[in-house]
Amino acid sequence: MKKEILIQPTGGRLSRRAFLKRSSFATLTGLITSDEAETAARRQGQRRQEGAIACALIGFGTWGREIAATLAEMPEIDLVAIVDTYEVMLTRVRRTFGDEVATHLDYQAVLDDPDIQSVIIATPTHTHREIAIAALEAGKHVFCEVPLAPTVEDAQAIAEAAAKVADTQIFQCGLLFRSNPQYRSIFQFIRSGATGSPVMARLQTHLKESWRRASPNPERQRAQNWRLDPALAPGLIGELGINQIDSAFWFLNELPTAVTGFGQIMQWNDGRTLPDTVQSIWAFPSNLHMIYDATLASSFDAAYDVFHGASSTIMIRDVKAWMFKEVDAPLLGWEVYARKDDFYKEQGINLAANATKLDAQELKPTDDDPSLEAPLWYAFKEFADNHIYGPFPAAAGYREGYNATVAAIKAHEATLNNTRVDIADDLFMMS
Amino acid sequence: MTVRLARMAMGSRWELVLEGSDETWLRAVGEEVLNEIAYLDSHLSIYNPRSAVSRLNARAASGPVQVEPRLFRLLQTAQRLHAATDGAFDITVGPLMEAWDFVHHQGQLPKPGVLREARARTGMHRVHLDEARRTVQFERPGVQIDLGGIGKGYAVDEAVAILREKEVETAFLHGGTSAIYGLGCPHDAEVWKVAIERPGAGDDPAADDMVAVVTLCDEALSVSAVWGKAFEADGRIFGHVLDPRKGEPVEGALLAAVAGPSATEADVLSTAMLVRGRDAMNMVKKPPLRSLLLLPAGTDAGYDIMEWDMPLV
Repeated sequence: MKKEILIQPTGGRLSRRAFLKRSSFATLTGLITSDEAETAARRQGQRRQEGAIACALIGFGTWGREIAATLAEMPEIDLVAIVDTYEVMLTRVRRTFGDEVATHLDYQAVLDDPDIQSVIIATPTHTHREIAIAALEAGKHVFCEVPLAPTVEDAQAIAEAAAKVADTQIFQCGLLFRSNPQYRSIFQFIRSGATGSPVMARLQTHLKESWRRASPNPERQRAQNWRLDPALAPGLIGELGINQIDSAFWFLNELPTAVTGFGQIMQWNDGRTLPDTVQSIWAFPSNLHMIYDATLASSFDAAYDVFHGASSTIMIRDVKAWMFKEVDAPLLGWEVYARKDDFYKEQGINLAANATKLDAQELKPTDDDPSLEAPLWYAFKEFADNHIYGPFPAAAGYREGYNATVAAIKAHEATLNNTRVDIADDLFMMS
Repeated sequence: MTVRLARMAMGSRWELVLEGSDETWLRAVGEEVLNEIAYLDSHLSIYNPRSAVSRLNARAASGPVQVEPRLFRLLQTAQRLHAATDGAFDITVGPLMEAWDFVHHQGQLPKPGVLREARARTGMHRVHLDEARRTVQFERPGVQIDLGGIGKGYAVDEAVAILREKEVETAFLHGGTSAIYGLGCPHDAEVWKVAIERPGAGDDPAADDMVAVVTLCDEALSVSAVWGKAFEADGRIFGHVLDPRKGEPVEGALLAAVAGPSATEADVLSTAMLVRGRDAMNMVKKPPLRSLLLLPAGTDAGYDIMEWDMPLV
C-alpha cells in the first residue's frame, strides 16, 4: 500500500524533552559567569540571542551561500561554523563573516563539536548520504537539501536513519514550499474543492545557462560539475524541479504510478551526456496526469505551475498565485471583491495568503506585504521552532524528502532513456 | 577567444566580455558572475518585497533588525560615503523621491506640507547601525533606504572579485553602460577604452558626439547623468536627481563620470558630483581618481567641462 503523504502543522505543542531542555538552559544561563563564557559571548559580538540554536552549515556553494545569508538574518539561529572541502569557498566565508564563524575543510569537525546542535547539509547530492547519516549518528538535528540522494538506495538509507531517531532528533529536508504560507494557503484552497475536481497539472522551469561551474583547478572543476553527471545527481527534474513536483504531490494528495520522459541536448553540446532539455508526463492513481518540462536552453516564461480544475485553474508564479474561473463555475462569493490581474485575455483572481491581514493594515492584496519573508526563511523558521517546541514531524520531513527524491530519480531515469518508467506502489514505502 | 554574455538585472542590461582560450570554461565563469549580480539584485532591490532591503524597510522602524554581514558592510560603506560627500549621497532619499512623484511617474511639484514631511523622514542620521549586534534600526516610521545609488557599483566590485578568484585575466563588464569595469587589458589593445557621449547625443552617436574617451586597466568607471525622468513647472525643468540636503532636484550639472579602483565608490561619487555641481571637483581631485563634470552653459555646445586627469576628445 502506498504511504500516505502527511501534512503536519508547525508550532503548537511543547514536548517534555524540549521543556526540560529549555528549563535547563535557562538555569545555566543564570549561573554561568566564567571567563570562558564571557570570552565566547564577546567573540560572537553579543549577537547570539539567548537560547539561539548553534548551527553549522556544510557546503558553501551557490545555494549554501544563500542559506548562510538567510541564517545570518535570524536571531533564533546562531551560525557558528561553515564547512567546505574547497579552501577557496572558505576564503569566501571569511570574506563574508570575518571571524564570526569557524571554518573547516572536514565536516567531522562540526560533528565532533558538542556545542553544535544542528547541521544544515547543502553539499552535492551524492554526498548527502554519508554526511546526513554521520550527523544523525552524532546526535545532531539535520536539515538536508533535496534531492536527498541520486539513488533510491541512498535516499532510503537517509530516511531510515532519520526515522530511527525521529523521537529525539529533527530531520527536515529542503522542500521549501511545504513551510511557505502562500503554498499552505493554496493547499487549503485546492483541498477544499474550490477548484473543482482536479483535471491536470502543468509545471515548468526554464533557464538560459550552461549549468557548468568553472574553477582554475581542473580536478576541482570536475568535482564542481557533479550536477552534469547523470550518476551523481537526478538531472534537471531532480535538481531544478523537485520543489515544484513535490508541491503537486502535496496539493493533489497523490504519488505517481509512472513517468514517461524525454531528454535532449539542444544547446549545450559541450561533451556532456546529461540532457539540457527534458519533458516528463506523470500518471497518478486517480488517472490525473501532470506535465513537467525543464530546459537550460531558453529562459522564456521562466518557472511556474498550473493546476487545472473543472471549476477553476490556479497558477503559481514567484510564490504568488492567481485563480482563473470557468464561466460555469459556482460563485464562491469573495472573488467578486478580490483583486484581479490581467493575463492576455484572461483575468486572474489574486490569491493572497494573508488577504485578511493585509486588509486589516489597509493594504491591497497586491501591495507589498510588509511581513513577507523569502521561502528559505520560512523553512528555517520552522526548523528553529522545531528545536524549541519539538521534535515534531517536520512539514518537509524524511518521508516527504524520500518520496519526492524517489519520484525525481525515476523521472531522471525516464528522461535518460526516453521511456516510460513504472513506479511500484511499494517503492514509496520505507522498510 | 572572446565570449560575450548578457543578463537583465537592476533594471539594466548587463554585459560581460571575457577573453581566454577555453570557451566552455569562460562561459561557466561568466554565468557565475551574472548569477551573482542577479542574486544581489534580488537581495538589494526595493522592488522585490522579499529582498533583504525591503525586509529592513518594513521592520527597522519598529526595532533593531539583524541583517547578514555583506549587507551590513554595504550599509556601513554607504554611511561612510555619505559623510565623505558631505551628504550629497544619501540612501534615505526615497521619501523625497515619492514627494516629487518620481518613483512611479515623471514627477511633479510636491503638494504643500508633503515635502516638509518627507524631509523629516530623510537623512542618514536616521539609520542606526549597531556593529556588535549587526542590526539596523530606523529613527522613526517612514524612513526608507534605497541602494539604487550604490548597488550597481557594488555589484560590479563583487563580480570582479569572482573574476579574480577564478584567475580571469581579461574581462569587461558593464551594467546599463553606467557602472563599468575593465579587468586587465584586452588582447588586441593596450587598454579598454570607453567613450562618454555628450548630453542629448541620441541612440546612434557620431564620433564628434564624444566628450571623452576613458582608458581603463583594472579600473572602474561610473557615469551619471540628469537626463531621464523630468518635468517642467514655472518655466523650470526639474530632473529626477535630488539633492538630499535641500530636498529638491539638483541644478548645475548635466553629467558626471568618475574612474577609480572601486566601482562602489565611483558609483557613489559620480552621483554626488551631480548633486554638488561646480563645487564637486574638490571632492574627487584625489589620485588615483579621475573625473569629469559637465555643467550647463551658454556656449555653442551648451555646457562647460571640468575634468581631473580625464583627457577630453
